[in-house]
Amino acid sequence: MRTRLFTIFSMIFTAGITAGVVYAQLKQGAYRPAALGTIQQPAPAALSTDAVYEVSAYPVPALELAPAEGRQDVQIYCNTCHSPRYITIQPPLPAATWEAEVNKMIKTFGATIPDESAKKIIQYLQTHYTPETRKTRDP
Amino acid sequence: MRRCAAAFSRRNLLKNFGVAGASLAVTGWHAGASRLAQEPDGAKPIESFTGPGPNPHWNSIGPYFSEPQKVPLILLTDRPVQLETPRHYFQTAFTPNGAFYVRWHLDGIPNSVDLKEWKLQIEGKVAKPQAWNLSELMQTFKPVSLAAANQCSGNSRSRLQPRVPGAQWGNGAMGNAVWTGVRLRELLEVAGVSSGAVQVQFQGLETGHGPKGLGSNAFLKALDINHPVLEESIVAYLMNNEPLPMLNGFPVRLVVPGFFATYWMKCLTWIRVLDAPDDNFWMKTAYRVPDTPRGNTTPEESNAGKVKTIPIERMPVRSFLISPDGSSKIPEGMSVTLRGIAFSGFGRISSVEISDDGGKNWRSAKLGEDHGTYSFRTWETPWTANSPGKHTLAVRATDEKGNTQTDEPVWNPGGYLWNRIERQVIVVGNAS
Repeated sequence: MRTRLFTIFSMIFTAGITAGVVYAQLKQGAYRPAALGTIQQPAPAALSTDAVYEVSAYPVPALELAPAEGRQDVQIYCNTCHSPRYITIQPPLPAATWEAEVNKMIKTFGATIPDESAKKIIQYLQTHYTPETRKTRDP
Repeated sequence: MRRCAAAFSRRNLLKNFGVAGASLAVTGWHAGASRLAQEPDGAKPIESFTGPGPNPHWNSIGPYFSEPQKVPLILLTDRPVQLETPRHYFQTAFTPNGAFYVRWHLDGIPNSVDLKEWKLQIEGKVAKPQAWNLSELMQTFKPVSLAAANQCSGNSRSRLQPRVPGAQWGNGAMGNAVWTGVRLRELLEVAGVSSGAVQVQFQGLETGHGPKGLGSNAFLKALDINHPVLEESIVAYLMNNEPLPMLNGFPVRLVVPGFFATYWMKCLTWIRVLDAPDDNFWMKTAYRVPDTPRGNTTPEESNAGKVKTIPIERMPVRSFLISPDGSSKIPEGMSVTLRGIAFSGFGRISSVEISDDGGKNWRSAKLGEDHGTYSFRTWETPWTANSPGKHTLAVRATDEKGNTQTDEPVWNPGGYLWNRIERQVIVVGNAS
Protein backbone atom coordinates (compact mmCIF):
# COMPACT_ATOMS: atom_id res chain seq x y z
CA MET A 1 0.00 0.00 0.00
CA ARG A 2 2.75 2.43 1.01
CA THR A 3 4.79 1.51 -2.02
CA ARG A 4 1.83 2.07 -4.30
CA LEU A 5 1.13 5.48 -2.75
CA PHE A 6 4.80 6.47 -3.12
CA THR A 7 4.78 5.40 -6.76
CA ILE A 8 1.68 7.46 -7.44
CA PHE A 9 3.16 10.51 -5.70
CA SER A 10 6.40 10.12 -7.66
CA MET A 11 4.49 9.94 -10.91
CA ILE A 12 2.49 13.06 -10.10
CA PHE A 13 5.66 14.88 -9.04
CA THR A 14 7.56 13.89 -12.18
CA ALA A 15 4.62 14.82 -14.36
CA GLY A 16 4.50 18.16 -12.56
CA ILE A 17 8.13 18.94 -13.40
CA THR A 18 7.92 17.97 -17.03
CA ALA A 19 4.72 19.98 -17.38
CA GLY A 20 6.38 23.02 -15.75
CA VAL A 21 3.51 23.88 -13.45
CA VAL A 22 5.85 23.90 -10.43
CA TYR A 23 7.62 27.02 -11.80
CA ALA A 24 4.87 29.46 -12.47
CA GLN A 25 7.40 32.32 -12.73
CA LEU A 26 9.65 30.58 -15.23
CA LYS A 27 9.84 32.53 -18.47
CA GLN A 28 11.17 30.80 -21.50
CA GLY A 29 11.54 31.29 -25.19
CA ALA A 30 11.44 35.10 -25.23
CA TYR A 31 13.13 36.48 -28.32
CA ARG A 32 13.01 39.94 -29.81
CA PRO A 33 13.69 41.51 -33.18
CA ALA A 34 17.07 43.26 -33.34
CA ALA A 35 19.17 45.29 -35.76
CA LEU A 36 22.01 43.38 -37.35
CA GLY A 37 25.25 44.55 -38.87
CA THR A 38 26.01 47.61 -36.80
CA ILE A 39 29.30 45.94 -35.89
CA GLN A 40 30.78 43.88 -38.71
CA GLN A 41 33.38 41.21 -38.27
CA PRO A 42 36.34 42.28 -40.41
CA ALA A 43 37.49 39.98 -43.19
CA PRO A 44 41.14 38.91 -43.00
CA ALA A 45 43.43 41.33 -44.82
CA ALA A 46 45.66 40.27 -47.71
CA LEU A 47 49.17 40.78 -46.36
CA SER A 48 52.32 41.28 -48.40
CA THR A 49 55.86 40.65 -47.14
CA ASP A 50 57.16 44.11 -47.94
CA ALA A 51 57.99 46.76 -45.33
CA VAL A 52 54.66 48.55 -45.59
CA TYR A 53 52.43 48.11 -42.55
CA GLU A 54 48.94 49.25 -43.34
CA VAL A 55 45.45 49.40 -41.92
CA SER A 56 42.26 50.33 -43.72
CA ALA A 57 40.77 53.82 -43.70
CA TYR A 58 39.37 54.75 -40.31
CA PRO A 59 35.57 54.55 -40.46
CA VAL A 60 33.45 57.65 -39.90
CA PRO A 61 29.74 56.92 -39.39
CA ALA A 62 27.22 59.43 -40.64
CA LEU A 63 25.98 61.90 -38.07
CA GLU A 64 22.77 63.89 -38.37
CA LEU A 65 23.12 67.28 -36.72
CA ALA A 66 19.99 69.15 -35.73
CA PRO A 67 18.57 70.68 -38.95
CA ALA A 68 18.63 74.38 -38.18
CA GLU A 69 20.23 77.69 -39.08
CA GLY A 70 24.01 77.33 -38.74
CA ARG A 71 24.21 73.62 -39.42
CA GLN A 72 25.85 74.13 -42.79
CA ASP A 73 28.50 76.40 -41.25
CA VAL A 74 29.27 73.73 -38.66
CA GLN A 75 29.56 71.12 -41.39
CA ILE A 76 31.91 73.27 -43.47
CA TYR A 77 34.19 74.83 -40.88
CA CYS A 78 34.25 72.54 -37.82
CA ASN A 79 34.59 69.53 -40.09
CA THR A 80 37.96 70.75 -41.40
CA CYS A 81 39.82 69.41 -38.37
CA HIS A 82 37.35 67.06 -36.68
CA SER A 83 34.07 65.31 -37.27
CA PRO A 84 30.93 66.91 -35.79
CA ARG A 85 30.82 64.04 -33.30
CA TYR A 86 33.11 66.27 -31.24
CA ILE A 87 30.01 68.38 -30.69
CA THR A 88 27.52 65.66 -29.91
CA ILE A 89 29.76 63.81 -27.42
CA GLN A 90 29.95 66.87 -25.18
CA PRO A 91 27.80 67.10 -22.08
CA PRO A 92 25.30 69.96 -22.21
CA LEU A 93 27.61 72.99 -21.92
CA PRO A 94 26.64 76.52 -20.85
CA ALA A 95 26.23 79.09 -23.63
CA ALA A 96 29.40 80.94 -22.58
CA THR A 97 31.43 77.72 -22.78
CA TRP A 98 30.28 77.08 -26.36
CA GLU A 99 31.27 80.61 -27.31
CA ALA A 100 34.68 80.10 -25.70
CA GLU A 101 35.12 76.79 -27.54
CA VAL A 102 34.47 78.34 -30.94
CA ASN A 103 36.76 81.26 -30.12
CA LYS A 104 39.46 78.78 -29.06
CA MET A 105 39.20 77.07 -32.44
CA ILE A 106 39.71 80.42 -34.18
CA LYS A 107 42.25 82.16 -31.94
CA THR A 108 44.23 79.25 -30.50
CA PHE A 109 43.96 76.69 -33.28
CA GLY A 110 43.89 79.09 -36.23
CA ALA A 111 40.59 77.98 -37.77
CA THR A 112 39.74 80.37 -40.60
CA ILE A 113 36.05 80.96 -40.02
CA PRO A 114 34.45 84.17 -41.33
CA ASP A 115 32.95 86.30 -38.52
CA GLU A 116 29.44 85.84 -39.85
CA SER A 117 29.76 82.05 -39.85
CA ALA A 118 31.42 81.99 -36.43
CA LYS A 119 28.44 83.86 -35.00
CA LYS A 120 26.05 81.40 -36.64
CA ILE A 121 28.02 78.42 -35.33
CA ILE A 122 27.98 79.79 -31.77
CA GLN A 123 24.26 80.49 -32.05
CA TYR A 124 23.64 76.99 -33.38
CA LEU A 125 25.57 75.29 -30.55
CA GLN A 126 23.86 77.45 -27.94
CA THR A 127 20.45 76.70 -29.40
CA HIS A 128 20.89 72.92 -29.33
CA TYR A 129 23.61 71.93 -26.90
CA THR A 130 23.24 73.77 -23.56
CA PRO A 131 21.68 72.31 -20.39
CA GLU A 132 18.56 74.34 -21.14
CA THR A 133 18.29 73.44 -24.82
CA ARG A 134 19.74 69.97 -25.02
CA LYS A 135 17.04 67.36 -24.69
CA THR A 136 18.46 64.54 -26.69
CA ARG A 137 21.60 63.49 -28.44
CA ASP A 138 21.88 63.06 -32.16
CA PRO A 139 22.42 59.45 -33.28
CA MET B 1 0.51 21.79 -23.40
CA ARG B 2 0.07 22.92 -19.82
CA ARG B 3 3.61 24.25 -19.82
CA CYS B 4 2.79 26.38 -22.83
CA ALA B 5 -0.28 27.70 -21.16
CA ALA B 6 1.71 28.60 -18.04
CA ALA B 7 4.43 30.47 -19.88
CA PHE B 8 2.21 32.41 -22.26
CA SER B 9 -1.32 33.39 -21.49
CA ARG B 10 -3.46 33.63 -24.62
CA ARG B 11 -3.42 37.42 -24.26
CA ASN B 12 0.38 37.51 -24.09
CA LEU B 13 0.67 35.11 -26.96
CA LEU B 14 -1.42 37.34 -29.14
CA LYS B 15 0.46 40.42 -28.02
CA ASN B 16 3.82 38.78 -28.58
CA PHE B 17 3.21 37.40 -32.02
CA GLY B 18 1.06 40.34 -32.99
CA VAL B 19 3.84 42.82 -32.38
CA ALA B 20 6.59 40.72 -33.86
CA GLY B 21 4.52 39.86 -36.85
CA ALA B 22 3.17 43.29 -37.55
CA SER B 23 6.41 45.20 -37.56
CA LEU B 24 10.10 44.98 -36.81
CA ALA B 25 10.10 48.60 -35.75
CA VAL B 26 12.04 49.12 -32.52
CA THR B 27 9.30 51.25 -31.00
CA GLY B 28 6.77 48.54 -31.75
CA TRP B 29 8.94 46.03 -29.99
CA HIS B 30 9.37 48.11 -26.84
CA ALA B 31 5.62 48.27 -26.44
CA GLY B 32 5.59 44.47 -26.50
CA ALA B 33 8.57 44.11 -24.17
CA SER B 34 6.99 46.21 -21.45
CA ARG B 35 4.87 43.24 -20.42
CA LEU B 36 7.96 41.75 -18.76
CA ALA B 37 8.04 42.30 -15.01
CA GLN B 38 11.65 43.51 -15.04
CA GLU B 39 13.78 45.24 -17.64
CA PRO B 40 15.43 42.51 -19.65
CA ASP B 41 19.20 42.83 -19.47
CA GLY B 42 20.66 44.14 -22.70
CA ALA B 43 17.37 44.83 -24.45
CA LYS B 44 17.76 48.60 -24.48
CA PRO B 45 20.81 50.65 -25.42
CA ILE B 46 22.28 52.98 -22.81
CA GLU B 47 20.71 56.44 -22.77
CA SER B 48 22.15 58.71 -25.40
CA PHE B 49 23.76 61.41 -23.28
CA THR B 50 24.41 62.38 -19.71
CA GLY B 51 24.50 65.77 -18.11
CA PRO B 52 24.60 68.31 -16.71
CA GLY B 53 25.03 65.91 -13.75
CA PRO B 54 27.91 63.43 -13.64
CA ASN B 55 27.87 60.43 -15.93
CA PRO B 56 26.56 57.66 -13.62
CA HIS B 57 28.04 54.78 -15.62
CA TRP B 58 31.42 53.12 -15.18
CA ASN B 59 32.23 53.60 -18.88
CA SER B 60 31.43 56.46 -21.21
CA ILE B 61 28.10 56.27 -22.98
CA GLY B 62 28.92 55.77 -26.67
CA PRO B 63 28.00 52.79 -28.85
CA TYR B 64 30.37 49.92 -29.58
CA PHE B 65 32.39 50.56 -32.70
CA SER B 66 34.98 48.64 -34.72
CA GLU B 67 38.24 50.21 -35.85
CA PRO B 68 41.18 48.51 -37.61
CA GLN B 69 43.04 45.99 -35.40
CA LYS B 70 40.54 46.55 -32.60
CA VAL B 71 37.72 44.59 -31.02
CA PRO B 72 34.51 46.61 -30.68
CA LEU B 73 35.25 49.46 -28.26
CA ILE B 74 33.18 52.37 -27.03
CA LEU B 75 33.16 55.18 -29.56
CA LEU B 76 33.79 58.70 -28.34
CA THR B 77 34.95 60.25 -31.59
CA ASP B 78 35.68 58.93 -35.06
CA ARG B 79 37.93 61.68 -36.52
CA PRO B 80 40.37 61.98 -34.79
CA VAL B 81 39.81 58.58 -33.21
CA GLN B 82 38.99 58.24 -29.50
CA LEU B 83 37.82 54.85 -28.21
CA GLU B 84 37.26 53.65 -24.67
CA THR B 85 37.95 50.17 -23.29
CA PRO B 86 34.87 48.42 -21.83
CA ARG B 87 35.05 47.57 -18.14
CA HIS B 88 35.30 43.80 -18.39
CA TYR B 89 38.70 43.95 -20.15
CA PHE B 90 40.17 45.06 -16.81
CA GLN B 91 39.55 41.69 -15.16
CA THR B 92 43.17 40.82 -15.91
CA ALA B 93 46.35 42.72 -15.10
CA PHE B 94 47.19 43.19 -18.77
CA THR B 95 44.85 44.81 -21.25
CA PRO B 96 44.72 43.04 -24.62
CA ASN B 97 46.15 45.17 -27.46
CA GLY B 98 42.93 44.81 -29.42
CA ALA B 99 40.94 46.25 -26.52
CA PHE B 100 43.41 48.95 -25.50
CA TYR B 101 41.84 52.43 -25.52
CA VAL B 102 42.71 54.97 -28.23
CA ARG B 103 43.15 58.73 -28.04
CA TRP B 104 44.47 60.95 -30.84
CA HIS B 105 44.60 64.73 -30.95
CA LEU B 106 44.84 65.47 -34.67
CA ASP B 107 43.12 63.72 -37.54
CA GLY B 108 46.24 62.96 -39.60
CA ILE B 109 46.66 59.48 -38.07
CA PRO B 110 48.93 57.09 -40.03
CA ASN B 111 47.14 54.43 -42.08
CA SER B 112 50.42 52.93 -43.23
CA VAL B 113 54.05 53.13 -42.27
CA ASP B 114 56.77 51.99 -44.69
CA LEU B 115 59.60 50.65 -42.59
CA LYS B 116 61.94 51.03 -45.60
CA GLU B 117 61.62 54.79 -45.13
CA TRP B 118 60.75 55.25 -41.48
CA LYS B 119 63.52 56.19 -39.06
CA LEU B 120 63.57 57.26 -35.44
CA GLN B 121 65.56 60.48 -35.41
CA ILE B 122 67.41 62.40 -32.72
CA GLU B 123 68.12 66.00 -33.60
CA GLY B 124 68.61 69.43 -32.02
CA LYS B 125 71.19 70.09 -29.34
CA VAL B 126 73.16 66.88 -29.77
CA ALA B 127 76.74 66.21 -30.86
CA LYS B 128 75.79 63.52 -33.40
CA PRO B 129 72.25 63.53 -34.76
CA GLN B 130 71.00 59.98 -35.23
CA ALA B 131 68.53 58.07 -37.36
CA TRP B 132 67.72 54.42 -36.83
CA ASN B 133 65.33 52.20 -38.73
CA LEU B 134 63.30 49.65 -36.78
CA SER B 135 65.69 46.83 -37.56
CA GLU B 136 68.62 48.86 -36.21
CA LEU B 137 66.69 49.75 -33.07
CA MET B 138 65.93 46.09 -32.43
CA GLN B 139 69.47 44.85 -33.26
CA THR B 140 71.71 47.60 -31.88
CA PHE B 141 70.28 48.07 -28.42
CA LYS B 142 69.61 45.66 -25.62
CA PRO B 143 65.85 45.16 -25.32
CA VAL B 144 64.28 45.96 -21.98
CA SER B 145 60.75 45.13 -20.81
CA LEU B 146 58.56 46.71 -18.18
CA ALA B 147 54.92 46.58 -17.22
CA ALA B 148 53.32 50.00 -17.00
CA ALA B 149 49.84 51.42 -16.91
CA ASN B 150 48.91 54.02 -19.51
CA GLN B 151 46.09 56.37 -18.58
CA CYS B 152 44.67 59.37 -20.40
CA SER B 153 44.96 62.61 -18.40
CA GLY B 154 41.23 63.07 -18.88
CA ASN B 155 40.20 59.58 -17.80
CA SER B 156 36.86 59.83 -15.94
CA ARG B 157 36.34 63.43 -17.10
CA SER B 158 32.59 62.76 -17.28
CA ARG B 159 32.53 62.61 -13.45
CA LEU B 160 33.37 66.28 -12.94
CA GLN B 161 30.88 68.79 -11.56
CA PRO B 162 30.32 71.14 -13.19
CA ARG B 163 31.02 69.23 -16.40
CA VAL B 164 33.90 70.49 -18.53
CA PRO B 165 34.30 70.29 -22.30
CA GLY B 166 36.50 67.57 -23.80
CA ALA B 167 36.18 63.87 -24.47
CA GLN B 168 33.68 62.62 -21.90
CA TRP B 169 35.62 59.55 -20.80
CA GLY B 170 34.22 57.12 -18.28
CA ASN B 171 36.87 55.03 -16.50
CA GLY B 172 38.09 53.12 -19.54
CA ALA B 173 40.71 55.50 -20.93
CA MET B 174 43.43 53.35 -19.41
CA GLY B 175 45.27 50.12 -20.06
CA ASN B 176 48.23 48.11 -18.87
CA ALA B 177 50.80 46.32 -20.99
CA VAL B 178 54.29 44.89 -20.96
CA TRP B 179 56.29 47.29 -23.08
CA THR B 180 59.52 46.13 -24.70
CA GLY B 181 62.02 48.36 -26.42
CA VAL B 182 65.10 50.48 -26.05
CA ARG B 183 66.08 52.72 -23.17
CA LEU B 184 65.60 56.37 -24.10
CA ARG B 185 68.72 57.28 -22.15
CA GLU B 186 70.84 54.95 -24.30
CA LEU B 187 69.61 56.62 -27.46
CA LEU B 188 70.36 60.07 -26.04
CA GLU B 189 73.83 58.93 -25.00
CA VAL B 190 74.67 57.78 -28.50
CA ALA B 191 73.57 61.16 -29.87
CA GLY B 192 75.44 63.03 -27.14
CA VAL B 193 73.34 65.70 -25.47
CA SER B 194 75.04 69.11 -25.70
CA SER B 195 75.61 71.26 -22.65
CA GLY B 196 72.91 73.87 -22.43
CA ALA B 197 70.16 71.37 -23.32
CA VAL B 198 67.12 71.86 -21.08
CA GLN B 199 64.35 69.71 -22.50
CA VAL B 200 63.78 66.84 -24.85
CA GLN B 201 60.80 67.09 -27.17
CA PHE B 202 58.90 64.22 -28.74
CA GLN B 203 56.95 64.19 -31.98
CA GLY B 204 55.09 61.37 -33.69
CA LEU B 205 53.62 60.92 -37.15
CA GLU B 206 50.23 62.57 -36.48
CA THR B 207 49.51 65.86 -38.22
CA GLY B 208 46.64 68.32 -38.28
CA HIS B 209 45.17 70.88 -40.66
CA GLY B 210 46.01 73.99 -38.65
CA PRO B 211 48.71 76.55 -39.48
CA LYS B 212 52.31 75.61 -38.72
CA GLY B 213 53.36 76.50 -35.20
CA LEU B 214 49.91 76.01 -33.70
CA GLY B 215 48.62 73.09 -31.68
CA SER B 216 46.25 72.18 -34.49
CA ASN B 217 49.21 71.42 -36.76
CA ALA B 218 51.43 69.18 -34.65
CA PHE B 219 51.23 67.35 -31.35
CA LEU B 220 54.44 67.87 -29.37
CA LYS B 221 55.37 67.03 -25.80
CA ALA B 222 58.52 67.68 -23.82
CA LEU B 223 60.22 66.58 -20.61
CA ASP B 224 63.10 68.22 -18.73
CA ILE B 225 66.42 66.75 -19.83
CA ASN B 226 67.33 66.03 -16.19
CA HIS B 227 63.98 64.59 -15.19
CA PRO B 228 64.47 61.29 -13.33
CA VAL B 229 61.62 59.74 -15.35
CA LEU B 230 63.86 59.77 -18.44
CA GLU B 231 65.98 57.06 -16.77
CA GLU B 232 62.93 54.77 -16.71
CA SER B 233 61.50 55.71 -20.10
CA ILE B 234 61.74 53.40 -23.07
CA VAL B 235 61.01 53.55 -26.78
CA ALA B 236 58.78 50.50 -27.16
CA TYR B 237 58.36 48.41 -30.30
CA LEU B 238 56.49 45.63 -28.53
CA MET B 239 53.26 45.85 -26.58
CA ASN B 240 52.34 42.66 -24.73
CA ASN B 241 54.92 40.95 -26.97
CA GLU B 242 53.13 41.95 -30.15
CA PRO B 243 53.67 44.83 -32.57
CA LEU B 244 51.75 47.92 -31.50
CA PRO B 245 48.36 48.37 -33.18
CA MET B 246 48.52 51.34 -35.56
CA LEU B 247 46.03 53.19 -33.36
CA ASN B 248 48.28 52.68 -30.33
CA GLY B 249 51.40 54.00 -32.03
CA PHE B 250 53.03 51.57 -34.47
CA PRO B 251 55.99 51.28 -35.01
CA VAL B 252 57.32 52.67 -31.73
CA ARG B 253 55.88 54.53 -28.82
CA LEU B 254 57.45 56.39 -25.92
CA VAL B 255 56.75 54.79 -22.55
CA VAL B 256 57.00 57.15 -19.57
CA PRO B 257 56.24 54.93 -16.55
CA GLY B 258 54.01 56.51 -13.91
CA PHE B 259 53.24 59.52 -16.10
CA PHE B 260 49.93 60.24 -17.79
CA ALA B 261 49.68 59.06 -21.39
CA THR B 262 50.01 62.53 -22.87
CA TYR B 263 53.80 62.03 -22.81
CA TRP B 264 53.68 58.53 -24.29
CA MET B 265 54.13 59.76 -27.86
CA LYS B 266 52.59 57.39 -30.40
CA CYS B 267 54.39 56.67 -33.71
CA LEU B 268 57.40 58.39 -32.13
CA THR B 269 59.67 59.61 -34.95
CA TRP B 270 61.48 62.76 -33.78
CA ILE B 271 63.34 63.17 -30.52
CA ARG B 272 64.46 66.78 -30.37
CA VAL B 273 66.84 68.12 -27.74
CA LEU B 274 65.97 71.75 -26.94
CA ASP B 275 68.02 74.55 -25.36
CA ALA B 276 64.90 76.40 -24.19
CA PRO B 277 61.69 75.21 -22.55
CA ASP B 278 59.13 73.98 -25.06
CA ASP B 279 56.42 76.63 -25.35
CA ASN B 280 54.23 74.85 -27.89
CA PHE B 281 50.47 74.72 -27.20
CA TRP B 282 50.50 71.15 -25.85
CA MET B 283 52.98 72.14 -23.11
CA LYS B 284 52.25 75.81 -22.46
CA THR B 285 48.43 75.78 -22.62
CA ALA B 286 47.05 72.25 -22.72
CA TYR B 287 47.59 69.38 -20.28
CA ARG B 288 48.25 71.73 -17.39
CA VAL B 289 46.85 71.32 -13.90
CA PRO B 290 46.50 73.74 -10.98
CA ASP B 291 49.58 73.79 -8.76
CA THR B 292 47.41 72.84 -5.78
CA PRO B 293 46.81 69.65 -3.75
CA ARG B 294 45.33 67.04 -6.13
CA GLY B 295 45.20 69.70 -8.89
CA ASN B 296 41.95 70.92 -7.40
CA THR B 297 40.41 74.34 -7.96
CA THR B 298 36.99 75.91 -8.57
CA PRO B 299 35.38 77.42 -11.66
CA GLU B 300 35.41 80.82 -9.91
CA GLU B 301 39.14 80.77 -9.17
CA SER B 302 39.90 79.38 -12.59
CA ASN B 303 37.81 81.98 -14.42
CA ALA B 304 39.46 84.74 -12.38
CA GLY B 305 42.76 83.59 -13.88
CA LYS B 306 44.44 83.38 -10.49
CA VAL B 307 45.38 79.73 -10.60
CA LYS B 308 49.02 78.92 -11.24
CA THR B 309 49.29 75.84 -13.43
CA ILE B 310 52.01 73.27 -14.10
CA PRO B 311 52.30 70.53 -16.73
CA ILE B 312 50.47 67.36 -15.67
CA GLU B 313 52.86 64.56 -14.69
CA ARG B 314 52.29 61.53 -12.49
CA MET B 315 49.05 59.60 -12.12
CA PRO B 316 47.44 59.72 -8.68
CA VAL B 317 46.53 56.42 -7.03
CA ARG B 318 43.34 54.76 -8.31
CA SER B 319 41.46 51.51 -7.83
CA PHE B 320 38.46 49.93 -9.50
CA LEU B 321 35.94 47.21 -8.86
CA ILE B 322 35.65 45.34 -12.15
CA SER B 323 33.53 42.36 -11.20
CA PRO B 324 30.71 42.09 -10.28
CA ASP B 325 29.74 45.14 -12.30
CA GLY B 326 26.18 45.58 -11.04
CA SER B 327 24.56 44.54 -14.30
CA SER B 328 23.02 41.37 -12.80
CA LYS B 329 21.51 40.45 -9.46
CA ILE B 330 23.37 38.32 -6.93
CA PRO B 331 21.34 35.83 -4.84
CA GLU B 332 21.28 36.47 -1.08
CA GLY B 333 23.79 34.41 0.91
CA MET B 334 26.06 33.68 -2.03
CA SER B 335 29.74 34.33 -1.47
CA VAL B 336 31.16 35.90 -4.61
CA THR B 337 34.66 37.15 -5.41
CA LEU B 338 35.09 40.88 -5.85
CA ARG B 339 37.83 41.55 -8.40
CA GLY B 340 39.53 44.63 -9.65
CA ILE B 341 42.71 46.54 -10.33
CA ALA B 342 44.71 49.34 -8.72
CA PHE B 343 47.69 51.44 -9.76
CA SER B 344 49.59 54.59 -8.93
CA GLY B 345 52.10 56.71 -10.81
CA PHE B 346 53.87 57.44 -7.53
CA GLY B 347 54.82 53.89 -6.56
CA ARG B 348 53.72 50.36 -5.86
CA ILE B 349 50.25 49.65 -4.56
CA SER B 350 50.57 48.73 -0.91
CA SER B 351 46.93 48.03 -0.09
CA VAL B 352 43.45 47.86 -1.54
CA GLU B 353 40.49 48.05 0.80
CA ILE B 354 36.81 47.33 0.37
CA SER B 355 33.81 48.79 2.14
CA ASP B 356 30.24 47.55 1.84
CA ASP B 357 28.70 50.08 4.23
CA GLY B 358 29.21 53.31 2.33
CA GLY B 359 32.81 53.82 3.40
CA LYS B 360 32.47 53.57 7.18
CA ASN B 361 34.33 50.28 7.63
CA TRP B 362 37.09 48.98 5.41
CA ARG B 363 38.78 45.62 5.08
CA SER B 364 41.81 44.59 3.05
CA ALA B 365 41.62 42.76 -0.23
CA LYS B 366 44.24 40.27 -1.35
CA LEU B 367 46.67 41.72 -3.88
CA GLY B 368 47.56 39.78 -7.01
CA GLU B 369 50.99 39.31 -8.54
CA ASP B 370 53.29 42.33 -8.49
CA HIS B 371 54.26 42.98 -12.13
CA GLY B 372 56.21 46.16 -11.40
CA THR B 373 55.98 49.56 -9.75
CA TYR B 374 53.78 51.20 -12.38
CA SER B 375 51.75 48.19 -13.50
CA PHE B 376 48.11 47.46 -12.77
CA ARG B 377 47.90 45.29 -9.67
CA THR B 378 44.93 42.97 -9.50
CA TRP B 379 43.12 42.44 -6.21
CA GLU B 380 40.34 40.17 -5.03
CA THR B 381 38.33 39.45 -1.92
CA PRO B 382 35.32 37.30 -1.08
CA TRP B 383 32.07 39.08 -0.31
CA THR B 384 28.80 37.66 0.87
CA ALA B 385 25.60 39.43 0.03
CA ASN B 386 23.87 39.08 3.39
CA SER B 387 20.52 40.65 2.74
CA PRO B 388 18.35 41.44 -0.26
CA GLY B 389 18.53 45.05 -1.34
CA LYS B 390 20.94 47.53 -2.84
CA HIS B 391 24.47 47.30 -1.49
CA THR B 392 27.06 49.95 -2.22
CA LEU B 393 30.59 48.66 -2.53
CA ALA B 394 33.48 51.11 -2.37
CA VAL B 395 37.14 50.47 -3.14
CA ARG B 396 40.20 52.51 -2.23
CA ALA B 397 43.90 51.97 -2.75
CA THR B 398 47.03 53.22 -1.03
CA ASP B 399 50.47 53.35 -2.64
CA GLU B 400 53.88 52.88 -1.06
CA LYS B 401 54.30 56.65 -0.73
CA GLY B 402 51.23 56.72 1.50
CA ASN B 403 48.91 58.33 -1.05
CA THR B 404 45.34 57.16 -0.48
CA GLN B 405 42.14 57.75 -2.39
CA THR B 406 39.50 59.88 -0.71
CA ASP B 407 35.83 60.74 -1.22
CA GLU B 408 36.69 64.30 -2.21
CA PRO B 409 35.94 65.10 -5.85
CA VAL B 410 38.44 66.89 -8.08
CA TRP B 411 37.70 69.83 -10.33
CA ASN B 412 39.93 71.68 -12.76
CA PRO B 413 39.05 73.17 -16.15
CA GLY B 414 40.88 70.46 -18.12
CA GLY B 415 39.04 67.64 -16.37
CA TYR B 416 42.26 65.93 -15.28
CA LEU B 417 43.50 63.89 -12.30
CA TRP B 418 40.17 62.39 -11.20
CA ASN B 419 40.88 59.72 -8.56
CA ARG B 420 37.97 59.80 -6.13
CA ILE B 421 36.96 56.52 -4.43
CA GLU B 422 34.83 54.47 -6.81
CA ARG B 423 31.47 53.07 -5.77
CA GLN B 424 29.29 50.36 -7.26
CA VAL B 425 25.72 49.52 -6.38
CA ILE B 426 25.08 45.76 -6.33
CA VAL B 427 21.51 44.50 -6.26
CA VAL B 428 21.04 41.41 -4.10
CA GLY B 429 17.92 39.34 -4.64
CA ASN B 430 16.16 36.75 -2.53
CA ALA B 431 17.54 33.24 -2.81
CA SER B 432 14.37 31.46 -1.78
